[in-house]
Amino acid sequence: MTARRVPLTGLPPRLPGLRLVLPLALIVPLGFAITNIARTGQLDPGPMDLAVAFVALVAVASAALAVSGYRGDPLIFPVAATIGGLGLVMLNRLPQQPLGLNLFGVELGMAATQLVWFCLGVTVMLVIALRLRDDGFLRHFKYTWALAGALLLVITFLFGREVNGARLWLYLGPFGFQSGEAIKVSLVVFIAGYLAENRRVLAGASLRLGRLRLPPVPYLVPLVAVFVAVMLVVVISRDLGTALLFLGIFLTMLFVATGRRSYVLMGLLLFVAGSLVAYQLFGHVRVRVDNWIDPFVDPTGAGYQTVQALYAFGRGGLFGSGLGQGLPMVGGHLPIPALPTDFIFAGIAEELGLIGAAGLLGLMLVLVVRGLRVAMLARDDFSAMLAVGLTLSLGLQTLIIAAGNLKLIPLTGITFPFVSYGGSSLLASFAVVGLLLSISHRTALAVAAEGAPDQ
Amino acid sequence: MSAEILRILLLVLQLGFLALLYLVLWSFARALLRDLRSAEQAQLDSRTGIGRLAVLESPDDEPPVGHTVFLGPINSIGRDVNSTIYVEDDFASATHAMLTFRGRAWYIEDQGSTNGTYVNGHRIDRPVALAYGDELTIGRVRLRLER
Repeated sequence: MTARRVPLTGLPPRLPGLRLVLPLALIVPLGFAITNIARTGQLDPGPMDLAVAFVALVAVASAALAVSGYRGDPLIFPVAATIGGLGLVMLNRLPQQPLGLNLFGVELGMAATQLVWFCLGVTVMLVIALRLRDDGFLRHFKYTWALAGALLLVITFLFGREVNGARLWLYLGPFGFQSGEAIKVSLVVFIAGYLAENRRVLAGASLRLGRLRLPPVPYLVPLVAVFVAVMLVVVISRDLGTALLFLGIFLTMLFVATGRRSYVLMGLLLFVAGSLVAYQLFGHVRVRVDNWIDPFVDPTGAGYQTVQALYAFGRGGLFGSGLGQGLPMVGGHLPIPALPTDFIFAGIAEELGLIGAAGLLGLMLVLVVRGLRVAMLARDDFSAMLAVGLTLSLGLQTLIIAAGNLKLIPLTGITFPFVSYGGSSLLASFAVVGLLLSISHRTALAVAAEGAPDQ
Repeated sequence: MSAEILRILLLVLQLGFLALLYLVLWSFARALLRDLRSAEQAQLDSRTGIGRLAVLESPDDEPPVGHTVFLGPINSIGRDVNSTIYVEDDFASATHAMLTFRGRAWYIEDQGSTNGTYVNGHRIDRPVALAYGDELTIGRVRLRLER
């Protein structure tokens, strides 16, 4: 299937990507310095090794992309790196108590552990972006990917370790990872492959049920079956955030592929019905929804997290309390439980204010727009659908967790891509970026092969 | 150093941090807008066509491998030199297949060729709707429909 070979060498380096990561060399060390000055009360920038290491990592990765003759989107990686940089500044500011990795006998703090994951994530991204010459193994084995995802899900459900009431962690010896992140990517690959193949059939409706026009049922069955199976297991294992994310990705991809609003409408109706059933059946769903409607009913118990997050947004105000100057400790603990993971957005909003939080969301918006642009320019349906799905997985995840922090929707525990503390999330997010880069790279090469002006 | 001066310094640094963040965001947004404009322009310039065929494999090199053929709404494919897409291949028939754009979709129809027309490796026996990215096999020549 390697019809069009992608030459990696022989292309001259292109450097505009480097210029875009330069501001990072200022912004991350500045964040570290503010934190240390505020914490010690001395005019001392403090240890900079983590900040320098992060900037070096991003610079090396950008240089590797430029030197290897990468021709795809020049903005996606710098934006992702900037978002990650903000996250690192925030994690460095938090107490390094929940010690992460123990690497070769050296105890690493939270920020250092995150940096190790950054290294791994960026490596994965580079390998996917530069070495993935052909997406045939994604395109042709879509059922294998669906099966792999489903299998992972079942394994997690059976053997996973339960943390905070949800069974999300799978342990291989001492190494644990959140399988939901990998399942997310494989699900997107499957949906993209299926929709690219059957798009035309699904777009034209043949069956009529009263005023409803349905697509030919046999074509919808595999898609819906895989999806329902995934949703069932996810909901039973109480991972509500991931369930919501999967549903959003699924419906939006279906809409993008077919251009039919009725599918989305039907999906939303099913979602509302399912939510009502879940509210009646599951206690933990009821707790979440009740907390969302009024967390102040039980401000020290069930509503504690949400109430504290709202106070954090309030304390932050417009410009924020300043790095290292907000988030007062309550009894030796951070004011919001799970702050480094689920509530990092609330933490950023307190210390950098509305302006900083809006800036973070703005960066995410740029990333989403670029991802959709990759999809728009792609030359075949599979690449386009894959790019849409991957971009959506980042965008919707951000939307769900930020809105959850803000009490716009019921709180669901998922990570903020590139920002939250956690290896699985970082690895998956960078793998997604790597796939986007590789799609974009192949499109650009195809354009160049025709002698058309480059973009 | 007095606490008051430190407080002011921290405030200044904080505002500097936010300003830097927005500077970065601005530089990204500017690159984004520039690309949107140039993409619009490129679309006006080059995307007047409805599709094209990329030649993936062609043992006798006619059409040449790596070449792209821009398509009109009706294309005949075959070994006949008058075909819209001329295929010089011993396994292709003179009038092998028709590739047409009808409504909003591409269709391929075999014209009674000896060795058949294949879409993604499956032989077709009636007109078949194509998606962008589908591969056609005419004789030993492999083509891919692209946007």
